Amino acid sequence: MNLLQYLPGNSVLHRLNPVTKLAAAFLVGICAIVSHSVVFTISLIILLLGICTACGLGKRALRLTRSLLVLGGMMFVFQLFFVRSGDPLLSAGGFTFVTRDGLSSAVLLGLRIVATMLPLMLLFAITEMNDLCGALVKRLHVPYRYAFIVTTAFRFVPLFTSEFHDIEDAQKARGVEYDGGIIKKLKLSVPLFVPLMMSSLKKVDAGAMSAQLRGFNLRTVSSGYREYPFTAADIGCILFSLLLVGAAAVL
Amino acid sequence: MLRFEDVSFRYPHSDSSVEHLSFHIQKGEFVALIGSNGAGKSTISRLSNGLLKPDSGTVYLDGTPTTSIRTSQIARKAGFLFQNPDRQICQNTVREELAFGLRLMGLPEQEIRERTREAIEQFSLDGDWFPFSRSRGERQRIALASVLVCRPQLVILDEPTTGLDYRECTAIMDYLTRLNREEGLTVLMVSHDMELVSQYAGRVLVLTGGQLIGDGATHDVMRDQPLLGRAHVLPAQIPALALKLDAGAKQPQFEDVFTVEEMFETICRLRKEMSATAGKGEVLS
Ligand SMILES: Nc1ncnc2c1ncn2[C@@H]1O[C@H](COP(=O)(O)OP(=O)(O)O)[C@@H](O)[C@H]1O
Ligand SMILES: [Mg+2]
Repeated sequence: MNLLQYLPGNSVLHRLNPVTKLAAAFLVGICAIVSHSVVFTISLIILLLGICTACGLGKRALRLTRSLLVLGGMMFVFQLFFVRSGDPLLSAGGFTFVTRDGLSSAVLLGLRIVATMLPLMLLFAITEMNDLCGALVKRLHVPYRYAFIVTTAFRFVPLFTSEFHDIEDAQKARGVEYDGGIIKKLKLSVPLFVPLMMSSLKKVDAGAMSAQLRGFNLRTVSSGYREYPFTAADIGCILFSLLLVGAAAVL
Repeated sequence: MLRFEDVSFRYPHSDSSVEHLSFHIQKGEFVALIGSNGAGKSTISRLSNGLLKPDSGTVYLDGTPTTSIRTSQIARKAGFLFQNPDRQICQNTVREELAFGLRLMGLPEQEIRERTREAIEQFSLDGDWFPFSRSRGERQRIALASVLVCRPQLVILDEPTTGLDYRECTAIMDYLTRLNREEGLTVLMVSHDMELVSQYAGRVLVLTGGQLIGDGATHDVMRDQPLLGRAHVLPAQIPALALKLDAGAKQPQFEDVFTVEEMFETICRLRKEMSATAGKGEVLS
Protein backbone atom coordinates (compact mmCIF):
# COMPACT_ATOMS: atom_id res chain seq x y z
CA MET A 1 0.00 0.00 0.00
CA ASN A 2 1.41 3.30 -1.05
CA LEU A 3 1.15 5.92 1.64
CA LEU A 4 1.29 8.83 -0.77
CA GLN A 5 -1.49 7.60 -2.99
CA TYR A 6 -4.53 9.75 -3.67
CA LEU A 7 -7.79 8.43 -2.26
CA PRO A 8 -10.81 9.81 -4.09
CA GLY A 9 -13.66 11.15 -1.97
CA ASN A 10 -16.10 13.99 -1.59
CA SER A 11 -15.74 15.07 2.04
CA VAL A 12 -15.39 18.66 3.24
CA LEU A 13 -11.65 18.09 3.43
CA HIS A 14 -11.54 16.79 -0.12
CA ARG A 15 -13.40 19.80 -1.42
CA LEU A 16 -11.11 22.38 0.14
CA ASN A 17 -8.99 24.41 -2.21
CA PRO A 18 -5.70 22.57 -2.81
CA VAL A 19 -3.79 25.69 -1.81
CA THR A 20 -5.67 25.73 1.48
CA LYS A 21 -4.85 22.10 2.10
CA LEU A 22 -1.19 22.76 1.43
CA ALA A 23 -1.12 25.80 3.72
CA ALA A 24 -3.05 24.05 6.48
CA ALA A 25 -0.75 21.01 6.31
CA PHE A 26 2.24 23.28 6.73
CA LEU A 27 0.67 25.29 9.53
CA VAL A 28 -0.26 22.18 11.50
CA GLY A 29 3.25 20.88 10.94
CA ILE A 30 4.65 24.13 12.30
CA CYS A 31 2.37 23.76 15.34
CA ALA A 32 3.91 20.41 16.14
CA ILE A 33 7.43 21.79 15.84
CA VAL A 34 6.77 24.95 17.84
CA SER A 35 4.97 23.26 20.72
CA HIS A 36 6.97 21.95 23.65
CA SER A 37 4.02 20.36 25.37
CA VAL A 38 3.48 16.63 25.18
CA VAL A 39 -0.19 17.05 26.06
CA PHE A 40 -0.70 19.61 23.31
CA THR A 41 0.99 17.41 20.71
CA ILE A 42 -1.08 14.40 21.69
CA SER A 43 -4.25 16.51 21.54
CA LEU A 44 -3.21 17.76 18.13
CA ILE A 45 -2.84 14.20 16.83
CA ILE A 46 -6.19 13.20 18.32
CA LEU A 47 -7.81 16.30 16.84
CA LEU A 48 -6.40 15.47 13.42
CA LEU A 49 -7.63 11.91 13.66
CA GLY A 50 -11.04 13.19 14.76
CA ILE A 51 -11.34 15.56 11.81
CA CYS A 52 -10.31 12.80 9.43
CA THR A 53 -12.83 10.37 10.87
CA ALA A 54 -15.55 12.99 10.56
CA CYS A 55 -14.68 13.29 6.89
CA GLY A 56 -14.72 9.54 6.32
CA LEU A 57 -10.95 9.23 6.20
CA GLY A 58 -10.63 7.58 9.60
CA LYS A 59 -9.28 4.25 8.44
CA ARG A 60 -6.70 5.80 6.20
CA ALA A 61 -5.58 8.23 8.91
CA LEU A 62 -5.27 5.44 11.46
CA ARG A 63 -3.16 3.43 9.10
CA LEU A 64 -0.94 6.41 8.42
CA THR A 65 -0.59 7.04 12.15
CA ARG A 66 0.37 3.45 12.70
CA SER A 67 3.16 3.53 10.16
CA LEU A 68 4.31 6.90 11.44
CA LEU A 69 4.37 5.55 14.98
CA VAL A 70 6.95 3.01 13.84
CA LEU A 71 9.16 5.84 12.60
CA GLY A 72 8.39 7.89 15.72
CA GLY A 73 9.24 4.87 17.87
CA MET A 74 12.64 4.56 16.22
CA MET A 75 13.39 8.22 16.82
CA PHE A 76 12.17 7.77 20.38
CA VAL A 77 14.73 5.04 21.04
CA PHE A 78 17.58 7.05 19.53
CA GLN A 79 16.72 10.17 21.47
CA LEU A 80 16.32 8.17 24.66
CA PHE A 81 19.92 7.03 24.53
CA PHE A 82 21.48 10.17 23.14
CA VAL A 83 20.22 12.65 25.70
CA ARG A 84 22.41 12.24 28.79
CA SER A 85 21.39 15.23 30.93
CA GLY A 86 18.84 15.20 33.78
CA ASP A 87 18.19 12.83 36.67
CA PRO A 88 18.87 9.18 36.00
CA LEU A 89 15.70 7.11 35.74
CA LEU A 90 17.15 3.73 34.91
CA SER A 91 20.68 2.72 35.73
CA ALA A 92 22.47 -0.54 36.23
CA GLY A 93 26.05 -1.27 37.23
CA GLY A 94 26.97 2.41 37.47
CA PHE A 95 25.78 3.14 33.94
CA THR A 96 22.76 5.33 33.32
CA PHE A 97 20.51 4.11 30.54
CA VAL A 98 17.66 6.56 30.67
CA THR A 99 17.47 10.08 32.08
CA ARG A 100 14.45 12.23 32.84
CA ASP A 101 15.35 14.78 30.16
CA GLY A 102 16.04 11.98 27.73
CA LEU A 103 12.67 10.42 28.29
CA SER A 104 10.69 13.64 27.96
CA SER A 105 12.51 14.83 24.87
CA ALA A 106 12.25 11.37 23.31
CA VAL A 107 8.50 11.24 23.86
CA LEU A 108 8.14 14.71 22.38
CA LEU A 109 10.28 13.87 19.38
CA GLY A 110 8.38 10.68 18.65
CA LEU A 111 5.06 12.50 18.83
CA ARG A 112 6.37 15.39 16.76
CA ILE A 113 7.31 13.06 13.95
CA VAL A 114 3.76 11.77 13.87
CA ALA A 115 2.18 15.20 14.19
CA THR A 116 4.25 16.80 11.42
CA MET A 117 4.08 13.96 8.93
CA LEU A 118 0.42 13.09 9.41
CA PRO A 119 -0.97 16.31 7.88
CA LEU A 120 1.47 16.10 4.96
CA MET A 121 0.50 12.52 4.21
CA LEU A 122 -3.15 13.44 4.52
CA LEU A 123 -2.55 16.19 2.02
CA PHE A 124 -1.51 13.59 -0.53
CA ALA A 125 -4.34 11.29 0.42
CA ILE A 126 -7.01 13.92 -0.27
CA THR A 127 -5.46 16.00 -3.05
CA GLU A 128 -5.06 14.99 -6.63
CA MET A 129 -1.69 16.03 -7.96
CA ASN A 130 -3.22 17.65 -11.04
CA ASP A 131 -5.40 19.79 -8.80
CA LEU A 132 -2.52 20.82 -6.61
CA CYS A 133 -0.52 21.74 -9.67
CA GLY A 134 -3.42 23.64 -11.22
CA ALA A 135 -4.22 25.53 -8.04
CA LEU A 136 -0.60 26.50 -7.49
CA VAL A 137 -0.49 27.94 -10.98
CA LYS A 138 -3.90 29.63 -10.88
CA ARG A 139 -3.97 31.02 -7.35
CA LEU A 140 -0.34 31.50 -6.42
CA HIS A 141 0.90 32.17 -9.95
CA VAL A 142 3.69 29.68 -9.55
CA PRO A 143 5.17 29.19 -13.05
CA TYR A 144 3.69 25.98 -14.47
CA ARG A 145 7.17 24.62 -15.08
CA TYR A 146 7.96 24.51 -11.34
CA ALA A 147 4.58 23.34 -10.17
CA PHE A 148 4.89 20.56 -12.71
CA ILE A 149 8.31 19.50 -11.42
CA VAL A 150 7.03 19.07 -7.88
CA THR A 151 3.84 17.25 -8.76
CA THR A 152 5.55 15.02 -11.29
CA ALA A 153 8.16 14.03 -8.74
CA PHE A 154 5.39 12.72 -6.52
CA ARG A 155 3.64 10.99 -9.35
CA PHE A 156 6.83 9.11 -10.13
CA VAL A 157 7.14 7.61 -6.66
CA PRO A 158 4.79 4.64 -7.17
CA LEU A 159 6.27 4.05 -10.63
CA PHE A 160 9.73 3.84 -9.14
CA THR A 161 8.57 1.52 -6.41
CA SER A 162 7.22 -1.02 -8.85
CA GLU A 163 10.21 -0.66 -11.16
CA PHE A 164 12.52 -1.13 -8.22
CA HIS A 165 10.67 -4.26 -7.23
CA ASP A 166 11.01 -5.73 -10.71
CA ILE A 167 14.70 -4.92 -10.87
CA GLU A 168 15.23 -6.59 -7.51
CA ASP A 169 13.51 -9.69 -8.87
CA ALA A 170 15.66 -9.65 -11.99
CA GLN A 171 18.85 -9.42 -9.95
CA LYS A 172 17.73 -12.10 -7.53
CA ALA A 173 17.14 -14.38 -10.49
CA ARG A 174 20.76 -13.82 -11.44
CA GLY A 175 21.92 -14.92 -8.06
CA VAL A 176 22.37 -11.61 -6.27
CA GLU A 177 21.48 -12.24 -2.66
CA TYR A 178 19.88 -9.53 -0.62
CA ASP A 179 19.51 -11.36 2.65
CA GLY A 180 23.14 -10.89 3.70
CA GLY A 181 24.65 -8.37 6.10
CA ILE A 182 24.44 -4.61 5.70
CA ILE A 183 27.92 -4.24 4.13
CA LYS A 184 27.14 -6.89 1.57
CA LYS A 185 23.85 -5.20 0.87
CA LEU A 186 25.53 -1.86 0.22
CA LYS A 187 27.99 -3.49 -2.14
CA LEU A 188 25.16 -5.14 -3.98
CA SER A 189 23.22 -1.92 -4.43
CA VAL A 190 24.96 -1.33 -7.76
CA PRO A 191 22.86 -3.95 -9.57
CA LEU A 192 19.76 -2.26 -8.16
CA PHE A 193 20.45 1.41 -8.58
CA VAL A 194 22.20 1.42 -11.91
CA PRO A 195 19.24 -0.12 -13.77
CA LEU A 196 16.82 2.06 -11.82
CA MET A 197 18.75 5.18 -12.75
CA MET A 198 18.96 4.15 -16.37
CA SER A 199 15.26 3.41 -16.65
CA SER A 200 14.39 6.65 -14.85
CA LEU A 201 16.54 8.71 -17.15
CA LYS A 202 14.89 7.06 -20.12
CA LYS A 203 11.42 7.68 -18.71
CA VAL A 204 12.21 11.30 -17.98
CA ASP A 205 13.62 11.75 -21.44
CA ALA A 206 10.53 10.28 -23.08
CA GLY A 207 8.28 12.27 -20.73
CA ALA A 208 10.01 15.52 -21.54
CA MET A 209 9.70 14.90 -25.23
CA SER A 210 6.01 14.09 -25.10
CA ALA A 211 5.37 17.13 -22.89
CA GLN A 212 7.18 19.31 -25.35
CA LEU A 213 5.28 17.88 -28.28
CA ARG A 214 2.05 18.82 -26.55
CA GLY A 215 3.11 22.42 -26.10
CA PHE A 216 4.39 22.24 -22.56
CA ASN A 217 6.33 25.50 -22.77
CA LEU A 218 3.32 27.43 -24.01
CA ARG A 219 1.32 26.73 -20.89
CA THR A 220 0.61 29.67 -18.57
CA VAL A 221 -1.90 30.78 -15.94
CA SER A 222 -4.57 31.32 -18.57
CA SER A 223 -4.18 27.86 -20.12
CA GLY A 224 -6.30 25.95 -17.63
CA TYR A 225 -10.10 25.98 -17.70
CA ARG A 226 -10.53 24.83 -14.18
CA GLU A 227 -10.88 27.56 -11.54
CA TYR A 228 -9.93 27.09 -7.92
CA PRO A 229 -12.06 29.52 -5.91
CA PHE A 230 -11.61 30.07 -2.18
CA THR A 231 -14.76 29.45 -0.15
CA ALA A 232 -15.83 30.13 3.42
CA ALA A 233 -14.63 26.66 4.36
CA ASP A 234 -11.16 27.56 3.11
CA ILE A 235 -11.04 30.75 5.14
CA GLY A 236 -12.31 28.88 8.18
CA CYS A 237 -9.70 26.17 7.77
CA ILE A 238 -6.84 28.66 7.49
CA LEU A 239 -8.06 30.70 10.47
CA PHE A 240 -8.36 27.54 12.54
CA SER A 241 -4.85 26.46 11.59
CA LEU A 242 -3.45 29.87 12.48
CA LEU A 243 -5.26 29.65 15.82
CA LEU A 244 -3.60 26.29 16.43
CA VAL A 245 -0.17 27.77 15.69
CA GLY A 246 -0.91 30.56 18.17
CA ALA A 247 -1.97 28.06 20.80
CA ALA A 248 1.12 25.96 20.17
CA ALA A 249 3.40 28.97 20.64
CA VAL A 250 1.71 29.99 23.90
CA LEU A 251 1.34 26.56 25.50
CA MET B 1 14.68 -31.08 -14.68
CA LEU B 2 11.66 -28.98 -13.77
CA ARG B 3 8.60 -30.54 -12.21
CA PHE B 4 5.41 -28.87 -11.03
CA GLU B 5 3.30 -31.00 -8.74
CA ASP B 6 -0.24 -29.71 -8.21
CA VAL B 7 1.06 -26.18 -7.78
CA SER B 8 -1.29 -23.36 -6.84
CA PHE B 9 -0.38 -19.77 -6.26
CA ARG B 10 -2.41 -16.63 -5.65
CA TYR B 11 -1.07 -13.09 -5.54
CA PRO B 12 -1.85 -11.48 -2.19
CA HIS B 13 -4.66 -8.89 -2.36
CA SER B 14 -5.65 -10.02 -5.82
CA ASP B 15 -7.89 -12.54 -7.54
CA SER B 16 -5.25 -13.55 -10.02
CA SER B 17 -3.92 -17.01 -9.49
CA VAL B 18 -2.63 -20.16 -11.10
CA GLU B 19 -4.23 -23.39 -9.98
CA HIS B 20 -3.39 -27.10 -9.81
CA LEU B 21 -0.53 -27.02 -12.27
CA SER B 22 1.26 -30.26 -12.93
CA PHE B 23 3.86 -30.86 -15.60
CA HIS B 24 7.30 -32.29 -15.93
CA ILE B 25 10.00 -30.92 -18.19
CA GLN B 26 12.76 -33.42 -18.93
CA LYS B 27 16.39 -32.59 -19.31
CA GLY B 28 17.19 -31.39 -22.83
CA GLU B 29 13.65 -30.44 -23.84
CA PHE B 30 12.74 -27.23 -25.63
CA VAL B 31 9.35 -26.29 -24.24
CA ALA B 32 7.19 -23.29 -25.05
CA LEU B 33 4.60 -21.91 -22.67
CA ILE B 34 1.84 -20.13 -24.53
CA GLY B 35 -1.29 -18.25 -23.55
CA SER B 36 -2.83 -14.82 -23.90
CA ASN B 37 -1.82 -11.83 -21.80
CA GLY B 38 -2.60 -12.29 -18.14
CA ALA B 39 -2.91 -16.06 -18.45
CA GLY B 40 -0.23 -16.53 -15.83
CA LYS B 41 2.80 -17.28 -17.97
CA SER B 42 5.12 -14.96 -16.11
CA THR B 43 3.76 -16.26 -12.84
CA ILE B 44 4.79 -19.78 -13.82
CA SER B 45 8.24 -18.65 -14.85
CA ARG B 46 8.65 -16.85 -11.52
CA LEU B 47 7.50 -19.96 -9.69
CA SER B 48 10.05 -21.99 -11.63
CA ASN B 49 13.03 -20.06 -10.39
CA GLY B 50 11.89 -19.52 -6.85
CA LEU B 51 11.07 -15.81 -7.09
CA LEU B 52 7.58 -16.86 -6.06
CA LYS B 53 6.94 -19.79 -3.78
CA PRO B 54 3.81 -21.88 -4.32
CA ASP B 55 0.96 -21.66 -1.81
CA SER B 56 0.37 -25.36 -2.18
CA GLY B 57 2.03 -28.11 -4.15
CA THR B 58 5.73 -28.29 -4.92
CA VAL B 59 8.04 -27.06 -7.63
CA TYR B 60 11.03 -29.35 -8.06
CA LEU B 61 14.11 -28.06 -9.78
CA ASP B 62 16.53 -30.85 -10.56
CA GLY B 63 14.86 -32.89 -7.85
CA THR B 64 14.98 -30.25 -5.13
CA PRO B 65 11.90 -28.31 -4.01
CA THR B 66 12.38 -24.57 -4.63
CA THR B 67 11.18 -23.86 -1.13
CA SER B 68 14.14 -25.60 0.43
CA ILE B 69 16.94 -23.74 -1.36
CA ARG B 70 17.80 -20.08 -1.72
CA THR B 71 17.09 -18.13 -4.89
CA SER B 72 20.81 -17.57 -5.36
CA GLN B 73 21.40 -21.32 -5.39
CA ILE B 74 18.60 -21.80 -7.86
CA ALA B 75 20.24 -19.15 -10.02
CA ARG B 76 23.24 -21.41 -10.56
CA LYS B 77 21.09 -24.11 -12.08
CA ALA B 78 18.43 -22.05 -13.79
CA GLY B 79 19.20 -18.96 -15.81
CA PHE B 80 16.42 -16.45 -16.31
CA LEU B 81 16.03 -13.96 -19.11
CA PHE B 82 13.40 -11.28 -18.60
CA GLN B 83 11.45 -9.51 -21.26
CA ASN B 84 13.22 -6.29 -20.38
CA PRO B 85 17.03 -6.62 -20.45
CA ASP B 86 17.46 -3.22 -18.82
CA ARG B 87 16.51 -4.59 -15.44
CA GLN B 88 19.43 -6.94 -15.56
CA ILE B 89 22.23 -4.91 -17.07
CA CYS B 90 24.11 -3.03 -14.38
CA GLN B 91 27.77 -2.81 -15.35
CA ASN B 92 29.74 -0.32 -17.41
CA THR B 93 31.12 -2.65 -20.02
CA VAL B 94 29.87 -5.80 -21.65
CA ARG B 95 32.89 -7.64 -20.29
CA GLU B 96 32.08 -6.64 -16.72
CA GLU B 97 28.42 -7.45 -17.23
CA LEU B 98 29.24 -10.99 -18.30
CA ALA B 99 31.71 -11.40 -15.47
CA PHE B 100 29.20 -10.18 -12.90
CA GLY B 101 27.18 -13.39 -12.67
CA LEU B 102 30.35 -15.48 -12.60
CA ARG B 103 31.74 -13.38 -9.73
CA LEU B 104 28.52 -13.98 -7.81
CA MET B 105 29.16 -17.69 -8.24
CA GLY B 106 32.60 -17.18 -6.73
CA LEU B 107 34.61 -18.60 -9.63
CA PRO B 108 38.36 -17.99 -9.85
CA GLU B 109 39.34 -14.86 -11.79
CA GLN B 110 41.21 -16.86 -14.42
CA GLU B 111 38.15 -18.90 -15.33
CA ILE B 112 35.95 -15.82 -15.33
CA ARG B 113 38.22 -14.16 -17.89
CA GLU B 114 38.29 -17.29 -19.98
CA ARG B 115 34.53 -17.82 -20.06
CA THR B 116 33.78 -14.14 -20.61
CA ARG B 117 36.08 -14.01 -23.61
CA GLU B 118 34.47 -17.11 -25.06
CA ALA B 119 30.94 -15.81 -24.62
CA ILE B 120 31.78 -12.43 -26.14
CA GLU B 121 33.03 -14.22 -29.20
CA GLN B 122 30.08 -16.60 -29.47
CA PHE B 123 27.51 -13.85 -29.20
CA SER B 124 29.46 -11.53 -31.51
CA LEU B 125 29.63 -8.83 -28.88
CA ASP B 126 32.40 -6.41 -28.10
CA GLY B 127 33.78 -6.48 -24.57
CA ASP B 128 34.29 -2.73 -24.46
CA TRP B 129 30.76 -1.70 -25.40
CA PHE B 130 28.85 0.51 -23.01
CA PRO B 131 25.79 -1.75 -22.71
CA PHE B 132 23.19 0.92 -21.97
CA SER B 133 23.59 2.72 -25.26
CA ARG B 134 23.36 -0.34 -27.50
CA SER B 135 20.24 -1.19 -29.48
CA ARG B 136 17.38 -3.14 -27.96
CA GLY B 137 18.39 -6.35 -29.71
CA GLU B 138 22.00 -6.01 -28.65
CA ARG B 139 21.01 -5.37 -25.06
CA GLN B 140 18.85 -8.49 -25.13
CA ARG B 141 21.79 -10.42 -26.54
CA ILE B 142 24.06 -9.06 -23.82
CA ALA B 143 21.55 -10.09 -21.18
CA LEU B 144 21.20 -13.57 -22.69
CA ALA B 145 24.97 -13.92 -22.90
CA SER B 146 25.35 -12.93 -19.26
CA VAL B 147 22.83 -15.61 -18.32
CA LEU B 148 24.30 -18.36 -20.49
CA VAL B 149 27.90 -17.60 -19.57
CA CYS B 150 27.06 -19.10 -16.17
CA ARG B 151 26.26 -22.38 -17.96
CA PRO B 152 22.91 -23.12 -16.38
CA GLN B 153 21.25 -26.48 -16.99
CA LEU B 154 17.90 -24.84 -17.52
CA VAL B 155 17.14 -21.46 -19.01
CA ILE B 156 13.78 -19.77 -18.64
CA LEU B 157 12.97 -17.02 -21.10
CA ASP B 158 10.04 -14.70 -20.47
CA GLU B 159 9.03 -13.36 -23.86
CA PRO B 160 12.63 -13.05 -24.95
CA THR B 161 11.97 -11.67 -28.39
CA THR B 162 9.48 -8.85 -27.80
CA GLY B 163 10.63 -5.70 -29.51
CA LEU B 164 13.33 -7.44 -31.51
CA ASP B 165 13.44 -7.38 -35.28
CA TYR B 166 13.45 -10.59 -37.27
CA ARG B 167 17.21 -10.87 -37.56
CA GLU B 168 17.88 -10.22 -33.88
CA CYS B 169 15.16 -12.67 -33.01
CA THR B 170 16.52 -15.52 -35.12
CA ALA B 171 20.04 -14.85 -33.88
CA ILE B 172 18.92 -15.44 -30.30
CA MET B 173 16.69 -18.40 -31.12
CA ASP B 174 19.29 -20.12 -33.27
CA TYR B 175 21.83 -19.79 -30.52
CA LEU B 176 19.46 -21.31 -27.99
CA THR B 177 18.58 -24.14 -30.35
CA ARG B 178 22.22 -24.98 -30.83
CA LEU B 179 22.89 -25.11 -27.10
CA ASN B 180 19.75 -27.18 -26.71
CA ARG B 181 20.84 -29.73 -29.32
CA GLU B 182 24.55 -29.84 -28.61
CA GLU B 183 24.83 -29.34 -24.89
CA GLY B 184 21.45 -30.58 -23.74
CA LEU B 185 20.41 -27.21 -22.34
CA THR B 186 16.80 -27.36 -21.19
CA VAL B 187 14.78 -24.40 -22.44
CA LEU B 188 11.45 -23.12 -21.19
CA MET B 189 10.31 -20.25 -23.35
CA VAL B 190 7.31 -18.07 -22.61
CA SER B 191 5.93 -16.59 -25.77
CA HIS B 192 2.80 -15.65 -27.60
CA ASP B 193 4.49 -15.52 -30.94
CA MET B 194 3.13 -18.74 -32.42
CA GLU B 195 5.38 -18.61 -35.47
CA LEU B 196 8.38 -18.62 -33.19
CA VAL B 197 6.95 -21.42 -31.09
CA SER B 198 6.10 -23.63 -34.05
CA GLN B 199 9.53 -23.10 -35.47
CA TYR B 200 11.63 -23.82 -32.40
CA ALA B 201 9.77 -25.60 -29.62
CA GLY B 202 9.41 -29.36 -29.41
CA ARG B 203 6.64 -29.30 -26.87
CA VAL B 204 4.00 -26.76 -25.95
CA LEU B 205 2.18 -26.04 -22.70
CA VAL B 206 -1.06 -24.12 -23.18
CA LEU B 207 -2.25 -21.87 -20.41
CA THR B 208 -5.41 -19.91 -19.94
CA GLY B 209 -6.84 -18.17 -16.88
CA GLY B 210 -4.15 -19.67 -14.68
CA GLN B 211 -4.90 -23.24 -15.72
CA LEU B 212 -2.99 -25.63 -17.89
CA ILE B 213 -5.36 -26.81 -20.62
CA GLY B 214 -2.95 -28.40 -23.02
CA ASP B 215 0.41 -30.13 -23.03
CA GLY B 216 1.77 -31.93 -26.05
CA ALA B 217 4.10 -32.03 -29.00
CA THR B 218 4.17 -28.72 -30.86
CA HIS B 219 2.86 -30.44 -33.96
CA ASP B 220 -0.25 -31.78 -32.24
CA VAL B 221 -1.00 -28.60 -30.32
CA MET B 222 -0.75 -26.47 -33.45
CA ARG B 223 -3.34 -28.62 -35.18
CA ASP B 224 -5.72 -28.58 -32.24
CA GLN B 225 -7.65 -25.44 -33.13
CA PRO B 226 -10.37 -25.79 -30.47
CA LEU B 227 -7.63 -25.94 -27.83
CA LEU B 228 -5.86 -22.87 -29.19
CA GLY B 229 -9.19 -21.10 -29.44
CA ARG B 230 -9.88 -21.73 -25.78
CA ALA B 231 -6.49 -20.23 -24.97
CA HIS B 232 -7.25 -17.22 -27.19
CA VAL B 233 -4.20 -17.72 -29.36
CA LEU B 234 -4.04 -18.02 -33.11
CA PRO B 235 -2.24 -21.04 -34.56
CA ALA B 236 0.85 -20.44 -36.66
CA GLN B 237 0.06 -19.72 -40.31
CA ILE B 238 1.41 -22.84 -42.00
CA PRO B 239 -0.26 -25.39 -39.70
CA ALA B 240 -3.45 -23.37 -39.97
CA LEU B 241 -3.26 -23.44 -43.75
CA ALA B 242 -2.49 -27.16 -43.71
CA LEU B 243 -5.50 -27.79 -41.53
CA LYS B 244 -7.71 -25.75 -43.82
CA LEU B 245 -6.50 -27.58 -46.93
CA ASP B 246 -7.20 -30.91 -45.27
CA ALA B 247 -10.62 -29.89 -43.99
CA GLY B 248 -13.27 -32.26 -45.37
CA ALA B 249 -10.74 -34.23 -47.40
CA LYS B 250 -11.08 -38.01 -47.29
CA GLN B 251 -7.36 -38.46 -47.22
CA PRO B 252 -5.51 -35.71 -45.36
CA GLN B 253 -2.43 -34.82 -47.32
CA PHE B 254 -1.03 -31.97 -45.29
CA GLU B 255 -0.98 -33.72 -41.95
CA ASP B 256 2.77 -33.58 -41.49
CA VAL B 257 3.19 -30.14 -42.98
CA PHE B 258 4.63 -27.75 -40.50
CA THR B 259 7.09 -25.39 -42.10
CA VAL B 260 7.18 -23.33 -45.27
CA GLU B 261 9.68 -25.80 -46.67
CA GLU B 262 7.44 -28.79 -46.01
CA MET B 263 4.45 -26.98 -47.45
CA PHE B 264 6.43 -26.21 -50.56
CA GLU B 265 7.57 -29.81 -50.97
CA THR B 266 4.11 -31.22 -50.43
CA ILE B 267 2.57 -28.89 -52.96
CA CYS B 268 5.29 -29.71 -55.48
CA ARG B 269 4.74 -33.41 -54.95
CA LEU B 270 0.97 -33.07 -55.32
CA ARG B 271 1.39 -30.97 -58.43
CA LYS B 272 3.64 -33.60 -59.96
CA GLU B 273 1.21 -36.38 -59.08
CA MET B 274 -1.62 -34.41 -60.53
CA SER B 275 0.08 -33.72 -63.84
CA ALA B 276 1.12 -37.36 -63.93
CA THR B 277 -2.49 -38.54 -63.57
CA ALA B 278 -3.59 -35.87 -66.02
CA GLY B 279 -0.92 -37.09 -68.50
CA LYS B 280 -2.11 -40.67 -68.08
CA GLY B 281 -5.63 -39.53 -68.71
CA GLU B 282 -4.61 -38.02 -72.07
CA VAL B 283 -2.91 -41.19 -73.16
CA LEU B 284 -5.92 -43.24 -72.24
CA SER B 285 -8.40 -41.12 -74.10
N1 LIG C 1 2.55 -8.69 -8.48
C1 LIG C 1 1.28 -8.97 -8.79
N2 LIG C 1 0.27 -8.74 -7.89
C2 LIG C 1 -1.00 -9.04 -8.19
N3 LIG C 1 -1.42 -9.55 -9.36
C3 LIG C 1 -0.48 -9.79 -10.30
C4 LIG C 1 0.91 -9.52 -10.07
N4 LIG C 1 1.60 -9.86 -11.18
C5 LIG C 1 0.69 -10.32 -12.06
N5 LIG C 1 -0.56 -10.29 -11.53
C6 LIG C 1 -1.79 -10.77 -12.19
O1 LIG C 1 -1.70 -12.15 -12.39
C7 LIG C 1 -2.23 -12.51 -13.66
C8 LIG C 1 -1.23 -13.29 -14.44
O2 LIG C 1 -0.12 -12.45 -14.72
P1 LIG C 1 1.14 -12.90 -15.56
O3 LIG C 1 1.63 -14.20 -15.03
O4 LIG C 1 2.08 -11.77 -15.60
O5 LIG C 1 0.49 -13.12 -17.00
P2 LIG C 1 1.20 -13.25 -18.42
O6 LIG C 1 2.67 -13.24 -18.21
O7 LIG C 1 0.67 -14.56 -18.94
O8 LIG C 1 0.73 -12.12 -19.25
C9 LIG C 1 -2.66 -11.22 -14.32
O9 LIG C 1 -4.05 -11.11 -14.21
C10 LIG C 1 -1.96 -10.14 -13.54
O10 LIG C 1 -2.78 -8.99 -13.49
MG1 LIG D 1 4.21 -11.88 -18.81
